[in-house]
Amino acid sequence: MDPRTRLALVLYAGIVALSLEHPGALLIFALVCTLPLVALRPSGTWWRRGLLTVLAVVWSTTLSQGLFYAQQPRVALLHLGPLVLWREGLSWGLAQSLRLVGLSLAGLSLAASTSPDRLYAALLRLRVPFGLALMATTALRILPELGRELVTVRRARAARGRPAWRRAPWRWLALEVSLLRPVVARSLRRAQALAESLDARGFDPLAPRAVRVPLRLRPLDHLLLVGGGLLTAALASARLAYVLYSSDTVYVAALRPLYGLVRGWL
Amino acid sequence: MSRGPGLRGLSLRGVGYRYPSVAAPTVSGVELAVAPGEILLLTGPTGCGKSTLLRLAAGLLQRHGQGQVQGEVAVDGRDPAALAPSERVRALGLVGQEPGDQLVAGTVGDEIAFAMESAGWSAAAIEAALPALQARVGLDLALDRDPRTLSGGQTQRLVIAAALSAGAGTLVLDEPLAQLDPAGAEELLRALRTIADGGVAVLLVEHRLEACLPVVDRVAIMAEGRLVDTVFAAALRPGSEAVRTLRALGLVVPGRLDLADRLAPRQVEAVTFRPPGGEPPVLGETLWEGRGLGFTWRGAPGPALVGVDLRLRAGERVALLGGNGAGKSTLLGLLSGQLRSPGLRPPAGVVAVPQDPDLALFCPTVQEELAVGPREGGHADVAGQVDRAAAALSVAGLRDRPPQALSRGQRLRVAVAAALACAPRVLLLDEPTSGQDHDQVERMMSALVAALSGGALVFATHDVDLALRHATTVYVLDQGRIVAAGTPAGVMAALPLPPLARLCRDRGLPPATAAELAAWAEGA
Repeated sequence: MDPRTRLALVLYAGIVALSLEHPGALLIFALVCTLPLVALRPSGTWWRRGLLTVLAVVWSTTLSQGLFYAQQPRVALLHLGPLVLWREGLSWGLAQSLRLVGLSLAGLSLAASTSPDRLYAALLRLRVPFGLALMATTALRILPELGRELVTVRRARAARGRPAWRRAPWRWLALEVSLLRPVVARSLRRAQALAESLDARGFDPLAPRAVRVPLRLRPLDHLLLVGGGLLTAALASARLAYVLYSSDTVYVAALRPLYGLVRGWL
Repeated sequence: MSRGPGLRGLSLRGVGYRYPSVAAPTVSGVELAVAPGEILLLTGPTGCGKSTLLRLAAGLLQRHGQGQVQGEVAVDGRDPAALAPSERVRALGLVGQEPGDQLVAGTVGDEIAFAMESAGWSAAAIEAALPALQARVGLDLALDRDPRTLSGGQTQRLVIAAALSAGAGTLVLDEPLAQLDPAGAEELLRALRTIADGGVAVLLVEHRLEACLPVVDRVAIMAEGRLVDTVFAAALRPGSEAVRTLRALGLVVPGRLDLADRLAPRQVEAVTFRPPGGEPPVLGETLWEGRGLGFTWRGAPGPALVGVDLRLRAGERVALLGGNGAGKSTLLGLLSGQLRSPGLRPPAGVVAVPQDPDLALFCPTVQEELAVGPREGGHADVAGQVDRAAAALSVAGLRDRPPQALSRGQRLRVAVAAALACAPRVLLLDEPTSGQDHDQVERMMSALVAALSGGALVFATHDVDLALRHATTVYVLDQGRIVAAGTPAGVMAALPLPPLARLCRDRGLPPATAAELAAWAEGA
């Protein structure tokens, strides 16, 4: 698949995420965004960690919104002393968290399934300035290395000290922050080497630039771009029509089935 | 811009540079010329200004530095700092110290093509040029391969191909052999010779004189920011002024040449050596033993380590030898506990210094860095531990400095000192020679031998001489398996040896330095 198609699909995903409000629809959206990752076959450990992260995000957002929801109307589900759990808050929190999870998964799918150089070529073709495109894709390329370095630093530190659970929380926090020092210093050195290398190879952020492998859209790309675009436009239009209706701005009697669909399912 | 007649290649006239924060110039009055087809090796002690001179030659400091520049640099008669990026890339290529950090693209093809893209080549012309560029540096890689999956030697050659791809007639390289094993270094030097023979002027900054001498044309020696001597490689002979200069500066004189110079006017072949009789080192109790150690990296086609048996005894110094990818770092990872294998428990009291020592430095000062281990380990005499480790690794004078602001060699010594301050029973070092000159390495190893008399030292290295002289036991790894193990003298038959070690083996002598051999010479 052409990287421009992937970028467009992520853009579509963003519009769809904003067009949906119903937790069920957002759950389906999040699951669809997970499909490209399934194809990449991450390890079991990766899935376990990912699932824990998703559960933590959904749980914390849903609970906080359930407790602090302030809009009317609202229905109390549970009284916990001075705290009240609001039904609409839970629904709103669930929707927000699923929107965030779905969008993050879409971005992650793009980053994990597209090599930085293809993404870089796509950004250039989309007329993103050369310097900005290079900066974005270089950051994407270096992120996994930063993760590996942080693991090495933690292990080196662990070999010279007590385990974290034997420390007071503030000392543990200070230790965690200090572990960033070598990673930052290493990143600065890497940035210096990379800058010199780019300079020596004629890097000019303002000059027009050739691309070794020109991009080409195939029939599948056209299908996804057009099909995805139509679906996104339909969802966004339906949401817009419903917003206009619910705000007493525009009411079209013929659209009543659509208003019902959006309210009940989207 | 005008182009001077007959000024092909690189020339430096009265070149100097003073950094803004330093009173004295780091480089001063350098006169140097490298002709097309020539390789000039620039060598000198750590911190003498070689890398600064290289950045001046590439026009980097003139454009991006804040300091004062003196003199003129010309590449094919033109100032590289005044050229537009698309012209500069056609005139000069620069290769820095860490090949992995210089990768700018996600595939081999895009990496080589980057400079051509900058120079405005068409996609068809780029594609047509790629096979020849790969062949020029001895590579034959799939163009869509990720450069991060290549070996150190392949990455270095890829970076060189990328630097030359737009047609640069001058190439400057900063310690390109630093991360390479002997075989990788030899391959790279052969590729550089081919490149030079094709009409490219090559300025090579490097410490490893012995490896470079067979392929370079001239050697320039630098000290304290100035050129002190420039000689033809063939003129580096026993008794020559250049050899005395190298030795006076504490640089490594190639072993065989060093010995011949020390024995002159006698011929090495005519001399009989009588080493003093010595008892073999007595090793103590077994600290740890592992049998059938193995490890396979996730997604790798085969195991990185297979069926390795290893025993560590008190007072033992174990050297792990082998090329890039032989399994040395994987074995150290298992010993340190960073890599896990079912049923394997790492040795008690093990402390490891990673290959990149920067990742083991997390305190604001050297003093605090050294105090972390003993303090957290509950040592009664933290200050004493810190003092002893600082003295052993010659970092006592750096206590108030931030570790990350030190030179590469100093950072490594601080990381090793911090590990030593923990009073480890087993100390693991991965490539302890990186970024250090010969004298520093010798001092560090001697200090570690003295400080770890009751424990064990395990070090992985490419440096055969270092392993033979400082280890009590040597394990030679190849493709994850131990192919030879034993005392240094015992494994010499299984190793491709540098010339001096070969002489020792052929004469039935224990591994020794040129100075030791000269002292053992009859009639010395």
